[in-house]
Amino acid sequence: MPHEVSIGGAMMPGLVVVFFGCLLLMWLFDTVLGRLGLYRYVLHPSLVRLALFVCLFGAAGLLLIH
Amino acid sequence: MTVAVIESGTRPPLRQWLAEAFAGEGSAWLFVFKAALALYAATWLAMWLQLEKPSTTMITVALLMHPQSGMVLAKSFYRAIGTLAGSVFGVLLMALFPQQRELFLLSMSLWVALCAGGATLYRNFMSYGFVLAGYTAAIVTLPAIGNPLTVFDSAVMRVSEVLLGVIVAGAVSDLVLPTRLREVLRRSAREQFGHFLDFARRSTGGTIARRDMEQAYLRFVRGAVQLENLRAAVIFEDPEARARSSRIRLINQFYMSATTTFQSVHHLINRLQRNGRADAADALIALYRPIGEALSPEPAQQHDPAVLAPRLQACEQVLPALARQLRDALPAPARLDFDTGAILLQRFADELRDFALVENSLRAKRLRGNVERVQFRRGNDYASAGLAVLRTFLTMVALSVFWLASGWPHGASAMLIATIFAGLLAMAPNPVSAAFHTLFAQGVGMAVAFVVTFGLLPRCDGYTMFIVATLPFLIPGFYVQSKPAVSTMGVGYGIGFVSSMLLTNRMSYDPAFFINEAIAQLAGFGLCAVAFMAIPAITGTGWQRARQLRQLRRQVVQAASAPLAGLAYRFESVNRDLFLQVVTYTRPDSRESRDLLAWALTVHECGRGLIELRQDMAGSQLPASVEQPAQQAVQAVARLFEAPDPARWQQAEQTVTEAITEIVRGQSGAQAGSRRVLLHLHQLRSVLRDDESALAPYMPAAEEPVHAS
Repeated sequence: MPHEVSIGGAMMPGLVVVFFGCLLLMWLFDTVLGRLGLYRYVLHPSLVRLALFVCLFGAAGLLLIH
Repeated sequence: MTVAVIESGTRPPLRQWLAEAFAGEGSAWLFVFKAALALYAATWLAMWLQLEKPSTTMITVALLMHPQSGMVLAKSFYRAIGTLAGSVFGVLLMALFPQQRELFLLSMSLWVALCAGGATLYRNFMSYGFVLAGYTAAIVTLPAIGNPLTVFDSAVMRVSEVLLGVIVAGAVSDLVLPTRLREVLRRSAREQFGHFLDFARRSTGGTIARRDMEQAYLRFVRGAVQLENLRAAVIFEDPEARARSSRIRLINQFYMSATTTFQSVHHLINRLQRNGRADAADALIALYRPIGEALSPEPAQQHDPAVLAPRLQACEQVLPALARQLRDALPAPARLDFDTGAILLQRFADELRDFALVENSLRAKRLRGNVERVQFRRGNDYASAGLAVLRTFLTMVALSVFWLASGWPHGASAMLIATIFAGLLAMAPNPVSAAFHTLFAQGVGMAVAFVVTFGLLPRCDGYTMFIVATLPFLIPGFYVQSKPAVSTMGVGYGIGFVSSMLLTNRMSYDPAFFINEAIAQLAGFGLCAVAFMAIPAITGTGWQRARQLRQLRRQVVQAASAPLAGLAYRFESVNRDLFLQVVTYTRPDSRESRDLLAWALTVHECGRGLIELRQDMAGSQLPASVEQPAQQAVQAVARLFEAPDPARWQQAEQTVTEAITEIVRGQSGAQAGSRRVLLHLHQLRSVLRDDESALAPYMPAAEEPVHAS
């Protein structure tokens, strides 16, 4: 994937696109985990959500750069 | 002995007094801590990322932090959307009018005005999204107005700064010692469930005084609207609640329709008793008894839907047979009254069962299957939004004209501050006094910022010293912000302080610039306040109340004419939302509030009756001899509610009575469909004739109650 994407002629960092993609993915994860009630088994659900997002975005971002 | 009593009596009060005095303090200081943490973390990040103006990030955080941390995520979501929409619009505008300042400022004013109007239309979080959409468009473009070529870079920079603020504010509120709204939602939903069941169980005697009924109605309405408000916030905070969201909506709808039916039944019984139809009333009360019994298992299980649902289901099976039995024992003239009540009661049992079933599935650990999707509709007053748009537009245009005509170098700051507060104040319940308090607070914030910027900051070295120098002055602002009654003052102070400090990534000290900037900001804000005096907000005025009452009555017209799909749900929710809006601004127990309650109850009963009638008419193939008079009756009732007066009342009553006699006369086949239509018409007529309802003033003075047989 390219490091920079052109949106309407303006160059945007590819990370921005990855970021929104991860948000979407996170939203899906969230829906499934919430429906299954898995968040009941963690101490701090919002910390878990954030951590999950950081993992997703970190992994996808590293993949983009390499 | 007495001394001992007094002593032991005085001690707890002191402790109690202390406890009461410091009741909210824990959460207030928690908010101060979190707000300061978010502000400094965001500023540090902004500096570390070498963003041009960390002060934008600071302003954003100061604008966004809110004590109810559970709601912050919901807000962040809408704020992020608002920010993106605003920045895109700002860049677009700059691209369209790079050279024409006048056109640019005109469209900018229009945009900000529309955003302010949108903020008044939506309650709680979405309105923040609108405020930010206006604010971002202004902050992105205004500083770059003299140099259109840099607008894209400037936009990227501002959006990064604003979004950084939004993200940090959201993350800190959600992660650091969050207060969860989910528990509040769960508690209030269960309380609502229990309270309604208790009320329904206790009233098996059949009669409830009108007054008690009105109080109960108030409580039901408040419960339904509050549940919806909480739901809209909690879905962002808690994925589990999001999975349950459509169920919560559905249960709220069942709750609303069950309360309406419940009230219709009781009003009917009351009316029958008043009109000397005790035999029918007693039979209805006897028919109600099995429902009461189904609701009364052992005390420990009285609020357990898993126990109640099967009991209600069993009760539903019993009702038709019992109704037949009771009906046969009645003299012929009372049968129509009884049948009218009986279908209401059966519907009530039906709705109670659905209510218990959904509540039960809501409490289950795992969700199975899907449920019907329903919407909670709001009743908005577009006049007040229109006024907000007009007011903001005029403010912004006045500022831009002044800016253009005078060549004022600090016009952009004035407009920026005006944008922020036009949106924020439009949502405040009492904007003029809020505006002056906020103006004062903002002035104080600026003065303090002056002292800090030129007295302390030059001697500071490094970020830690920056925190040490500014924190003591920020704390009071955040503390005030945590008190709901004066929170806009806190916001004003915070924004005045933070925006005047003008933190840039290479700090420059220029007292003259500072003072000019401060004057510009005060001018921007002052004009905002003046605009609120010139075009006052109509929230809570008698004019708006009259408008809302008219809107409430028009709900019946809607019930009579709007397409049927989803109408029942829409009717129930809009009604409650409207009613609650009016009730918030009327003094309890005043004449207005009693009038309003009476109208709300009548509108509810009539509208629901009309909807049921229309549904039955649509669902069964009726002969024209039934359909036509029923249709006319519906139209006549709608006309009555459009503009009630004695003539229209008489006409409505006459048309409904004619329809009843016509159907009774032609009813040789006694088709099930036309029978139900007849019963609904009968109920409608009894609502129209209710001499304790809001329609009473339109009735002819001494009217003999006439009963159709």
